[in-house]
Amino acid sequence: MLRLWPLRQVAKVQNVLGGLTQIATKSTQPAPAPELVEVFIDDKQVFVEPGTTVLQACAVAGVEIPRFCYHDRLSIAGNCRMCLVEVERSPKPVASCAMPVMKGMKVKTDSPMTRKAREGVMEFLLMNHPLDCPICDQGGECDLQDQSMAFGSDRSRFTDNAFTGKRAVEDKNIGPLIKTIMTRCIQCTRCIRFASEIAGVDDLGTSGRGTDMQVGTYVEKMFKSELSGNVIDLCPVGALTSKPYAFTARPWEIRKVESIDVMDAVGSNIVVGMRTNEVMRVLPRVNEDINEEWISDKTRFAYDGLKRQRLTTPFINVDGQLVPTDWETAFVKVAEKVKKVDPKLIAGVAGSTADAEAMVCLKDMINRLGGELLCTEDSFPLNRSGIDFRSNYIFNTTIGGIEQADVVLLIGTNPRLEAPLINARIRKTWIHSEVCVGVLGAPVDLSYEYQYLGDSFIVLKDLAAGTHPMCKALASANKPMIILGTDCLQGTENGVIYNAVKDIAERLRKNLKHKDWKIFNLLQKNASQVGALDLGYQPGVSGLKALQAELIFLLGADAGTVSKDKINPSSSVIYIGHHGDYGAQIADVVLPAAAYTEKDAIYVNTEGRVQLARQAVNPPGMARHDWKIIRALSEILGVALPYDKLADVRARLGEISPTFDQPGQVNESGFEAQAYQLQTEIKDPIVNVNTAISPTMLKLKDFYMTDPISRASLTMAKCIQACKESEKNPYSKQEAKA
Amino acid sequence: MASIIKVIGNVRRIISHNNGIIGSFLKMFRHDDLKWGTLVGEDKYGNKYYENNYYFFGKNRWVSYPQSSGFDFDASEIPPEWHRWMHYMTDDPPTKVPLPQRKWMADHTMNLTGTSREYVPYSTTRPKIQSWVPPKSSD
Amino acid sequence: MAGLARISPNVTVSLCRSQGLPVLSTLVRHNATEPAKNEKKTYGPLKDQDRIFTNLYGRYDFRLKGAQARGAWYKTKEIILKGHEWILKEITTSGLRGRGGAGFPTGMKWGFMNKPFDGRPKYLVVNADEGEPGTCKDREIMRHDPHKLVEGCLVAGFAMHARAAYIYIRGEFYNEASNLQIAINEAYKAGLIGKNACGSGYDFDVFVHRGAGAYICGEETALIESIEGKQGKPRLKPPFPADVGVFGCPTTVSNVETVAVAPDICRRGGTWFASFGRERNRGVKLFNISGQVNNPTTVEEEMSIPLKDLIERHAGGVIGGWDNLLAVIPGGSSTPLIPKSVCDTVLMDFDDLIRVQTGLGTAALIVMNKQCDVVRCIARLIDFYKHESCGQCTPCREGVNWMMKIMHRFQTGNAKRDEIDMLYELSKQIEGHTICALGDGAAWPVQGLIRHFRPELEKRMDDYEKKAARN
Repeated sequence: MLRLWPLRQVAKVQNVLGGLTQIATKSTQPAPAPELVEVFIDDKQVFVEPGTTVLQACAVAGVEIPRFCYHDRLSIAGNCRMCLVEVERSPKPVASCAMPVMKGMKVKTDSPMTRKAREGVMEFLLMNHPLDCPICDQGGECDLQDQSMAFGSDRSRFTDNAFTGKRAVEDKNIGPLIKTIMTRCIQCTRCIRFASEIAGVDDLGTSGRGTDMQVGTYVEKMFKSELSGNVIDLCPVGALTSKPYAFTARPWEIRKVESIDVMDAVGSNIVVGMRTNEVMRVLPRVNEDINEEWISDKTRFAYDGLKRQRLTTPFINVDGQLVPTDWETAFVKVAEKVKKVDPKLIAGVAGSTADAEAMVCLKDMINRLGGELLCTEDSFPLNRSGIDFRSNYIFNTTIGGIEQADVVLLIGTNPRLEAPLINARIRKTWIHSEVCVGVLGAPVDLSYEYQYLGDSFIVLKDLAAGTHPMCKALASANKPMIILGTDCLQGTENGVIYNAVKDIAERLRKNLKHKDWKIFNLLQKNASQVGALDLGYQPGVSGLKALQAELIFLLGADAGTVSKDKINPSSSVIYIGHHGDYGAQIADVVLPAAAYTEKDAIYVNTEGRVQLARQAVNPPGMARHDWKIIRALSEILGVALPYDKLADVRARLGEISPTFDQPGQVNESGFEAQAYQLQTEIKDPIVNVNTAISPTMLKLKDFYMTDPISRASLTMAKCIQACKESEKNPYSKQEAKA
Repeated sequence: MASIIKVIGNVRRIISHNNGIIGSFLKMFRHDDLKWGTLVGEDKYGNKYYENNYYFFGKNRWVSYPQSSGFDFDASEIPPEWHRWMHYMTDDPPTKVPLPQRKWMADHTMNLTGTSREYVPYSTTRPKIQSWVPPKSSD
Repeated sequence: MAGLARISPNVTVSLCRSQGLPVLSTLVRHNATEPAKNEKKTYGPLKDQDRIFTNLYGRYDFRLKGAQARGAWYKTKEIILKGHEWILKEITTSGLRGRGGAGFPTGMKWGFMNKPFDGRPKYLVVNADEGEPGTCKDREIMRHDPHKLVEGCLVAGFAMHARAAYIYIRGEFYNEASNLQIAINEAYKAGLIGKNACGSGYDFDVFVHRGAGAYICGEETALIESIEGKQGKPRLKPPFPADVGVFGCPTTVSNVETVAVAPDICRRGGTWFASFGRERNRGVKLFNISGQVNNPTTVEEEMSIPLKDLIERHAGGVIGGWDNLLAVIPGGSSTPLIPKSVCDTVLMDFDDLIRVQTGLGTAALIVMNKQCDVVRCIARLIDFYKHESCGQCTPCREGVNWMMKIMHRFQTGNAKRDEIDMLYELSKQIEGHTICALGDGAAWPVQGLIRHFRPELEKRMDDYEKKAARN
């Protein structure tokens, strides 16, 4: 039923054929627009492209066809039969999801035959479906409920309930995230198709025939995917529901707030479900340019970390012990410390989830005090033109652009765990086209096949010199892409690696036919990084040591890069953040701030796309919005910032970089040539890097806890536990040893 | 004429019932009412119960709270056995038909709402947000 | 077999139309309206010299030598050298219709493959997954006359430019598969197939693929899935196998009998084959007669032979005499049964059986006399379909199960009268709403039962009620 593989074969053949006939014209001339096909939907004339299905044509005509198994982003199964429609001159109703349109086709979506067919299918589906809607988590957002209201019969004929009862199916244990109630399953196989097509994990399938058909893993094992939670959204009934969310809320009680995720640098669009000032769940929001309609498990399930380990009151350090206090005392304490030190020795560090408003306020405040050093936690080489050109540190191709690439070279990154949705995009491209992927780094499981080039610097040097066999593929590519991970740029030799990658990119760029195609991409890991660099923060915390900073403001810097042994031991630390994590433990004053669901904030994703997160709930206890804390503090310190409203801060952001005024858009960053030319020579250019170029996240268990929120999450802890257990499971696919 | 004599007689009886003019004044001050009647009984908390069928039904039985209650007396100080008599559930006061004593019967307490000993329900739900507790420094 | 390739003939017409083949629909219409001229009026019995399968009963050697003695592989090279156009023309002239049950005109079906080469190889898949209850014709061919099939593969494969033939044989057919493999090995050794088959310069391979015992794998797309190594679950059509079939290449799936008769048609001429049977129902055919007859048998006969003739002549008559006949399932378990009154006159061909609301199917007659419990028979058939439903699409998965539950209650009479109408409606809700034809095949026996034996059902219900009232 999963026709992924044969379709690929067909596509391959067609590609070859296409290549043979129009090898010369392929890239230069766009294919002529195909002639549109005229179809009539309920006597309404519409024109659609040939190859469109009847269901899509109906959507064009504004008629929604009921469906269970059909999903836009999955292959067509055509097995629920809910989408049957009458087509004129066809004796039996046709499955509209699978039937391509034909010229002059007359579709009747509301004829007696269509209605009877739907009613019949509905009756069959409900025959073995349990009547547990009152205790079902899907209740209220269940396709089966809705469609049985709309298309089903008004009474039951299932008299056999009195004789033999309904089917019951054993529940499966597929991990700590997904709760299965398999009796509710209607065998639409959406989850199976998602697992094998989008997630690239062939864990789910059907076993048994006829009424005994079951969806499951056959042997009990964890559904081991970083995108597994999406099957919960896909499931049209309550067979797959969220385990952490089970029995906590009803969809009609939940207020939905559209927001942005900060667990990785992708900036997935999410909907935060809120009830009584509590985040109940996180769902994806469709954004074709970024996450389509998927989100990673960390995005979806780490929300319980927002309720644990929270800073709800200011703390001050009294004799080596943090004691709770009030805002006034804390502010006075900060003021005392600021007064004591040389203003030049004041520094700030922005953490992985810091928002742009807070960062600009912190920068302005420290600058007004006289300090100059503001940095981020993630390091980045400052040779070449460093961060002077935006194209050096963003994902230039854009996530949607991946789909056009024909060669992708991944260097020192594991996109599957660093940015699951970018990896899903690469996999999508890999399925639908002949993209060739090369990996320089650890041989991790990326859910698609790739050419492994090794993990030594010598390979990178060969690539840069053009002597590596892969160079041929890169050079002949129409739209090559290089994705550089940030993990390999954390060491002291980062400049050498970066230089080599830039050399490869520049050589390819010079010979590129498509002049506007971007080759070089940096895959950031932190949601704040691009925003911070846009605002003029220095990448990396090495400056703190060099400056011997006396007073350090940490804006949610919890990655452990700032620790007592790495900074001047006599320095004081002021922590502004939302979780009691590394940062708060070394702090002298802790100021409680808001997490990403608790503030209206701007985040810039790895593409350089500015996005607005909206406040869903209030900050807990005495916690306040970050920028307001800094604004109030600045007043106490005598350098009052001129921002009284959020709009003022955003105006200031716009002053610094106009990109902040264009939320949702990616501004193309040019000047690649200049960025390359303006290189600053490295003192010793023949440095050989001895350490392997490798990402830090190698296995799925490394994925779940990467920031203060997910570290505080119990669900994420359970995931790690389950991953460890699944390593012992002989039936579970073992991840590549790294 | 006769009615005036009746009134005077009543006044006399009330005054003698309430321990003289000062007593009657204090009674009036404390209970906002002046009546005379026969003492039907007294419970162990010191409440005295009176009856006088001269007064209309509904006013013919009353209670006099002990001085210990002060001005802050409450109707719930009446124990259940007297409550039935006071509310005309029965005409037999517990002095005449005592309440059978069972071992599960608890001692009567007045309604403590509004006092310092009132019952305050506590929340059984967990707090939505769990605050961070800084680790105790070892040194 | 072909288990499932049977689709009702009205579907056949729709299939053609939906493929946008005006030629075909006019052809069909033309044939339907024009009265047959100079046609003979009586059909059968078949003369011995007109038999194609001369070793149906295994009396002779099935190996190459024996087969050649019986005429197999005779002038195969010449047939091939005449070209695929000629073969297609002969097949079209012969009026051969698919023997798997659907009765789709074979010449046209093979002609679909006659498209310009697009880089993908083409394949012939022979459907030897004969699983339909009552049907046992293909196994006779494969175990006693396998060389007919191998030769047929070459001829049919050449006619459609196929690179190779896959014979998907039912897993339970162990001896058949082994005989077939022997025949293939012999043919390879003799240079009849393989590189430069028969010395014609054409390369052709034949592979045997054994199934794992699922009735649904007789459906052509499920069969393709099964060959590809996946669960045998029917694919959606379109794309039809002629566009995207096995391993993504153009494929034609044909029944064993259809393929096996092709060489003889080519040798003896399409007109010879067309001289049997009525217009649109040409040729000779293997009939299986089972059930309550004196001599259950498989016999090759002319198409359009009267049903009564067939049973009386070849099967030794119904047990208890013709008047003891209750009903006949004329085309394998998935066709609706017909009562005796219809059996008296009906002819065994596609069109006449359609006329009486049933179908020729695989021409496997299941005879039931008056001693049999017809409701139980049908309930048992539904048991079979419930067991064999692949579970992919809803109406079949849930509906057949429900029908089975109701049928078992009908068997004892533990039901209400209005449930008969409900059951009929349910079967209508399954029929035509599924991906493949298994749902139809499960619905039709029930429909036939209700159509002809409603009084019997009602009687049982009344009896049951009376019995329940007494207790």
